[in-house]
Amino acid sequence: MADFYSQWGFLQTFVNAHDWVWPVCEMVHYIGMSLVVGIIGLLDLRILGLFKSIPCGAFRPLVPVAMTAFAGNLLTGIVFVTGTNQGPGFYLDNLSFQLKLLCLLLAFANLIIFQFSDLEEKVYATPAGGSAPRSAKVVAVVSLVLWVSIIFFGRMLMYNDTLLLLLGM
Amino acid sequence: MLDYLQNLALAEWVRTSPSIFAYTMILTLHAVGLAVVVGVNTLIAFRLLGLARGIPLASLSELYGVVWVGFSVNLASGFLLFIAEAHDMATMVAFWGKLFFVAAGMVTAVLLKRLYFSDVMNVSAGVVTRTGRNLAIASLAFWLLALIIGRLTGYPDLVDGWLHPGRSY
Repeated sequence: MADFYSQWGFLQTFVNAHDWVWPVCEMVHYIGMSLVVGIIGLLDLRILGLFKSIPCGAFRPLVPVAMTAFAGNLLTGIVFVTGTNQGPGFYLDNLSFQLKLLCLLLAFANLIIFQFSDLEEKVYATPAGGSAPRSAKVVAVVSLVLWVSIIFFGRMLMYNDTLLLLLGM
Repeated sequence: MLDYLQNLALAEWVRTSPSIFAYTMILTLHAVGLAVVVGVNTLIAFRLLGLARGIPLASLSELYGVVWVGFSVNLASGFLLFIAEAHDMATMVAFWGKLFFVAAGMVTAVLLKRLYFSDVMNVSAGVVTRTGRNLAIASLAFWLLALIIGRLTGYPDLVDGWLHPGRSY
């Protein structure tokens, strides 16, 4: 971990030298969050059977937009973790942050399942009025739950004490 | 009035309770609602501006149901967050700025429904009229500003520094 921080130390110097860097990164992080929810969340709802007049494949060109938004959030996330003046432990030893990372990893695994099974093709072939396969609905529910959890634990980071209190820790 | 709100037992509970279900959970719900409102409005605007043309224009107005769910969550959670710190919030320029752009964004959503999506001829023919396009651009701008200025409510000192460059803190 010490190595990790010495490699990214320039970011911490930069963040602390300019008071606007942190809020601007937060804004980018929030925009990315909204785009992921607006695109992936709605695709999930469509797979689950809402808005059936939209063919599932119509969402396909928007997925790269969500991916780009996510890449922006990964970058700004690195700025937060490495740039905080509260020291390396603030995020890494924070239960909310650890749970957020776990949910992100699970969301990634869920995406891998979607992409490398035949689900992706089956979903995008679902026409207007059609139903997505049942197994795709499972992936969609898992995706929705995970993304809400990612926002939940992300916001909870700064209030980790209340989570620990709830868990009796 | 502000004193009255801030001294309500409900405001007191939101502000001081160490429970996760008080301030923390309400703040988290506000973030989820933000992602839904901004994300779905952005997706609608993207489609009107020419992205993801596979989404039928007539289906697009169905998505406003999701916007209203997110908006209701944020109206309720926003009210609770406001009364908890009524004095601090009411004296903040960024807070009123954010409220203004949220209102502008919701009015634009209503106008899109009334002035564009009600135009069945053009909508079913897949034509985005000038009105539809202009309102979509306005919608994107208003939500972006609402999000940016909303985030600034977390940095009152920074904003004061920008507004009154001569003053020292």
